[in-house]
Amino acid sequence: MTHLSPVVQRLRITFGKAGTLTYTSNLDMAKIWERVLRRAELPLLYTRGFNTRPRISLAMPLPLGISSDCEILDISLRERIAFCEASLRERLLAVSPQGLSIVAINEVDPRSSTMQSLIMSAEYRIRFHDPLERACLQRKIDELLGQESIIVERRRRRKRSVMDVRPLILSLEMDEHADLLAHLSVGDRGNLRPDHLLELLDMDGMHSSIHRSRLHRLPE
Amino acid sequence: MQPGSIEQQIERHLLKVEKPGRYVGGEYNSVVKDWARADVKVALAFPDIYDLGMSNLGIMNLYHQVNQRDDMLAERVFSPWLDMEAVMREQQIPLYSLESKRPIRDFDLLGISLPYEQLYTNAINMLDLAGMPLLSRDRDESYPLVIAGGHACFNPEPMADFIDAFVIGEGEEIIVEIAAELGRLRGLRRDEQLRQIARIQGMYVPRFYDVDYRVDGTVRSVTPNQPGIPARVLKRIVLTLPKPFTKFIVPNIDTVHNRAPIEIMRGCTRGCRFCHAGMVTRPVRERPVAEIMAAIDEIVRYTGFEEISLLSLSSSDYVWVEELAEEVNRVYKDAGLSLSLPSLRIESASADLLEKIGGTRRSGFTFAPEAATEKMRDLINKYVPDDQVIQTARDVYSRGWRTIKFYFMIGHPDETLDDVQAIIDLCGRTLREGTKILGKKATLNVGVSTFIPKPHTPFQWAPQDTRESVERKQAMLKQQMRRGGMHLRWNTYDDSEFEGWLSRGDRRLSRVIRRAWELGCKFDAWQDQHKHGRWLQAFDESGINPDFYNFRERDLDEVFPWDHIDVGLRKKFLQEDYLMSIRRETRVDCRDKCFACGILPKFAKERATTEDLAWECPPVTPISERGRQRTVEIPLSAIG
Repeated sequence: MTHLSPVVQRLRITFGKAGTLTYTSNLDMAKIWERVLRRAELPLLYTRGFNTRPRISLAMPLPLGISSDCEILDISLRERIAFCEASLRERLLAVSPQGLSIVAINEVDPRSSTMQSLIMSAEYRIRFHDPLERACLQRKIDELLGQESIIVERRRRRKRSVMDVRPLILSLEMDEHADLLAHLSVGDRGNLRPDHLLELLDMDGMHSSIHRSRLHRLPE
Repeated sequence: MQPGSIEQQIERHLLKVEKPGRYVGGEYNSVVKDWARADVKVALAFPDIYDLGMSNLGIMNLYHQVNQRDDMLAERVFSPWLDMEAVMREQQIPLYSLESKRPIRDFDLLGISLPYEQLYTNAINMLDLAGMPLLSRDRDESYPLVIAGGHACFNPEPMADFIDAFVIGEGEEIIVEIAAELGRLRGLRRDEQLRQIARIQGMYVPRFYDVDYRVDGTVRSVTPNQPGIPARVLKRIVLTLPKPFTKFIVPNIDTVHNRAPIEIMRGCTRGCRFCHAGMVTRPVRERPVAEIMAAIDEIVRYTGFEEISLLSLSSSDYVWVEELAEEVNRVYKDAGLSLSLPSLRIESASADLLEKIGGTRRSGFTFAPEAATEKMRDLINKYVPDDQVIQTARDVYSRGWRTIKFYFMIGHPDETLDDVQAIIDLCGRTLREGTKILGKKATLNVGVSTFIPKPHTPFQWAPQDTRESVERKQAMLKQQMRRGGMHLRWNTYDDSEFEGWLSRGDRRLSRVIRRAWELGCKFDAWQDQHKHGRWLQAFDESGINPDFYNFRERDLDEVFPWDHIDVGLRKKFLQEDYLMSIRRETRVDCRDKCFACGILPKFAKERATTEDLAWECPPVTPISERGRQRTVEIPLSAIG
């Protein structure tokens, strides 16, 4: 019987994605990280089997085209490294592709549960590049929030279902730059993507850029 | 157009297209130089989508060679997929480079990679997207010089109207020479620039050659129409392989071969008669093990790739293959790195090699028996007895590999249905061996391609098999090979017929290619995109009979449209080999016995500067000892 190699150390990297890298999907992002970590020569822990993979996990998928500075990656190491956030950050940035930034690196308990199961909601900032009247945007926001329920049809693997997405909008407001600030539910318990929100506002045709600024987790 | 404006323009549309990461660059190891500081700017094009082009070692090699120079820069450009092309045409965004997002027209040199013929329509589509006239003669010196290279260019004629100059042979050194020369020629008329470019050994400038045809449509002669232009263009070779390229660009999106290749050997001594690569890449040049090991180490450090493939035409023939496998095993056994060694011979030793090299990841086992009867094996000069196939399969399955992949070839005109039946039987026996060992887990994937006679090979005289015959053979395969554990793949006849036209085509096909493109043909390498009917229409409208290219058995003394391209082989050598094939005579590996293909005398001077065994060519056998190859010329009609 083979024994599972123990996770000796777990690191949590909070990172950002910008520019060309926003056109990289979540799946491909995991591959990018895998290679960054290998280039940085960190002692990654690998899964067993024919198709061995490093034990790393991204907390919450970021839809294509959205920038962020709050993404979370957990990595498991097979050997302990001396932890120093500044030098580790430098080591990673030296081998990172354009558009990847490192916000913070923390050491976490190797036995703690993965972040993915804990994230509940996310905050987004949506900036419009086409001219827009503040009053018009405010009216749209008020109209949407004024509805008691917003029933949409969803299709997942040929299955159709209807659901109320109103409760998934935790907050929605306009700031002084006429940017839209949205706090939306994410994850398995209910997920509303910001591009979908723009559709609900009937603003999906506008040229905009979306930035994810914060992930919220379940209180532990 | 201002730099930066293309970036802004595409940004509005990127989320509407599939895999937008194809169009934005920014990858790790991509080289973005200061535009203003580079004297000569080179755009390197692969005329298919990013996902495929990024797996092309040739492009990466050239990218590296040019970017090494302080006074030059090289940037990449690929074909946009249909959705992005529609956006670009609608928004009037010109074809641009991934690094600086500059229009291709701003470059001095556009180098197009043409490894296979199915890319021709895409290549001219790229010219059009770049806002350049398609025809070479319509482009003056205000446009980038358009050159092309790659294996398909050993018969450059079908693309002669579109390309200003072809690189014949190996591009690593010549690309920098051309770029440097172009820098010196700035301000001159295009014709004059090309006259100078044509002086570089290995460069072929089609406009300086006149083609004269006979009444029957065959070529009478190809002659230079300018003083100082060589009658034949000798291919370019490097004497020893340059140090392997290791700073691969790491794509931000998934690509077809998302791994790093290292070429361990160039050229092949086996002499399989159908094999274009084996004929045009002579002589054999091998890389020392230490150089390969150093390259693997660098690739891991520079790229973080988890997969590296060690490339050659016939890995088992690489002299130090055992030593290499030992070294790889010793150093990378538990490193989470996967190495693959394709093109192994069908023998038990191959299982040992792959077991050592493969590490933790096991890709399938691929072998190419090509034929299943003695007759066909003799005819193509690739001899692997059935017992050896079966024994090897047994070894592979019993070591725990569940999948074997076989490549066969059908469609040689002398092949009968019995020869095809033998393929089915051999596959059946092989899978039964697997089932004995692994039960239902054993699988056999069989790829059966259709033989296409290629220029510069002994089969350049041979007709291609007809649709009726090939489809009958394929029907047999499909009927009998669809069973548990066996998976069959084949080429459609449309694809083979199309490849045949362009492979042995002449200059007149430029007209057809252009017309086909006008009719909407592109992405011909994609089976679901290739529009065969439109190609037939293009032939028809151009007044050219496509069958002329595929189904004629050529006279032994016919002048071929590619005869003025010198790959180093004597035509007489190929002719002898063709006649031997008809008589079912074989030739051994030419490391054991030299058949005087011509490569040595052609590069005698160069060879004198290399080590004795550097090219794996033994001394030329004296004529008196070559009685076996002396041939009596018999009329082909008598052979049938």
